[in-house]
Amino acid sequence: MAKLTYAKVNQDILRMIRPPTSAWGILFLADLMVLGFGLLCFAWQVRTGLGVAGYTRPVMWATYITDFVFWVGIGHAGTLISAVLFLFRARFRNSIYRTAEGMTVFAVMTAGLFPLIHLGRVWFFYWLIPYPNQRQLWTNFRSPLEWDVFAVSTYLTISSVFFIVGLIPDVAVAREHAVGIRKKLYTLLSFNWRGTDRQWKHYNNAYTYFAALATPLVFSVHSVVSWDFAMSINPGWHSTIFAPYFVAGAIFSGIAMVITLMVPMRKIFHLEDYLGDWHFDSMGKILLFTSLIVTYAYAVEMFMAWYGGNPYEKSVFWDRAFGPMGWAYWIMVLCNCLIPLLCIKKSVRTSIPAMFVISIFVNIGMWFERFVIIVQSLSHSFPVFTWKLYAPTWVELGITAGSFAWFFMFFLLFVKFLPAMAIAEIKEILQTPLKKRAA
Amino acid sequence: MSAPRQGVLAVFEHADSVVDAVKALKAGGRRKFTVMTPVPNHEIADAIDDSQSPVRWFTFVGAVVGGSLGLLLCAWTSLDWPLVTNGKEIVSIPPFMVIMFECTVLIGGLTNLFAMLFFAGLPDLVQGEAFDARFTEDRFGIWVPCGRQDSESVAATLRANGAEEVRVEAA
Repeated sequence: MAKLTYAKVNQDILRMIRPPTSAWGILFLADLMVLGFGLLCFAWQVRTGLGVAGYTRPVMWATYITDFVFWVGIGHAGTLISAVLFLFRARFRNSIYRTAEGMTVFAVMTAGLFPLIHLGRVWFFYWLIPYPNQRQLWTNFRSPLEWDVFAVSTYLTISSVFFIVGLIPDVAVAREHAVGIRKKLYTLLSFNWRGTDRQWKHYNNAYTYFAALATPLVFSVHSVVSWDFAMSINPGWHSTIFAPYFVAGAIFSGIAMVITLMVPMRKIFHLEDYLGDWHFDSMGKILLFTSLIVTYAYAVEMFMAWYGGNPYEKSVFWDRAFGPMGWAYWIMVLCNCLIPLLCIKKSVRTSIPAMFVISIFVNIGMWFERFVIIVQSLSHSFPVFTWKLYAPTWVELGITAGSFAWFFMFFLLFVKFLPAMAIAEIKEILQTPLKKRAA
Repeated sequence: MSAPRQGVLAVFEHADSVVDAVKALKAGGRRKFTVMTPVPNHEIADAIDDSQSPVRWFTFVGAVVGGSLGLLLCAWTSLDWPLVTNGKEIVSIPPFMVIMFECTVLIGGLTNLFAMLFFAGLPDLVQGEAFDARFTEDRFGIWVPCGRQDSESVAATLRANGAEEVRVEAA
């Protein structure tokens, strides 16, 4: 980044939001087609009922809840990068945090759809919101599901505000180079920001407190999501390690998704000066660290099932690895425990194609982790006569594919219409123009 | 909407020149001026004014109010329709902590946002200062509001401290 100047940063990043090319248009159209198929599947489910999903007793939480946990998890790395790494003043964060933050907002927007899709009668979703109804009944604040409503909606609100606030100075840069409707839109989004000393002073102070408030959210939201499971007495779920295990898994999957998104972005928009080996090396270290934590959690789960002496727990965990759906468990182990071990070598961490491939494996592995936890635990519950296998139907797979298209639709619009890299923060890590240096 | 403005606008290439100009303006008894920069700069900020932003107090109060409201919501709704489960207390604090925490963050975050917008004067609809698009790119600016009679001396001070361009704006 040594050869970058303030003016070049403006030039390079604003180049990304030039009018869309035909390649972008084709990609966007293809994305809309997948989204359209997902919407059709959802419409079919609304019309015919939840029976079109593969739910069979006792597996009444399956693909939709897997998708929910997967997408909430994806969001976590964005907040980790934007808030936690900001507080630690990690300089590699400046080039990647905007994309990661956008990813967080879009991932949580995607996640929030799944509890509604899973409801079946989606038009009653507002029953989850605490309001006095005609019988003066209130929601149950002792229920982890109610905690989840508060946790996810708070997370979406705060991460969206954090994202928009971070954009203000950079949208002001875009405003100065835009014309017509874009200029009006950017003027509105930038709040007419001009970078005065008064604006920077209060902005920086508020930004630090946003980071301070968002940091515990990273840990709390996925802990609350994990308690959706851990607060029940179901074997395979009722465990005290769930909160840290889920938080580490969320950061692990989120970092993998950041890498998956940043590698093509770097190539398409020629951002080699902004995303170098150093960035991928740092992300590789986080990936390796969180992979080791989830590997430890898998091992501890197995150990406790054996050492605890509870026959139901032992049976569930034996079934996870060696039962009829054991293939899902071994995909998880391969993708989340073994393949990320390659990141021990610096040459792998600094190889961008290698990191891209590893990140794809981690994305797959983390989806399967949630599938294993949710579906396999339920399918092998207490009474033997209720044991049943589960397979997702085309409706569930269609909605899952649609959720990826929903996420990528927002992401494609984001990279084309808003500065996908933080202009002001990248400038902050460059050399400040000084007359003594110029002399 | 822009207000009628009268004063001197200077454009600087270097951040340390801005620091010198700010010090010179203050030494000349001027307290009312605005510095515009493409990035936040601690040296410039310290030269202008080293006071703390009051935003944090609003954030703190918002967070405390949010946490209290979270507890009140849970306790009041539980008492409004008491459902005794396993002989546990109706107002059971441990499960309510989650709601309290989320409300703390939510209200604290929103108060932080509104306090920042208020103190930073955003959205800036008045536009009291002259502005140059280069201040979002690679140049630093100082706007000194002053009458016609002072503009020459202000312009001279800014030029003497390294301004590469000085414009006198008349109302």
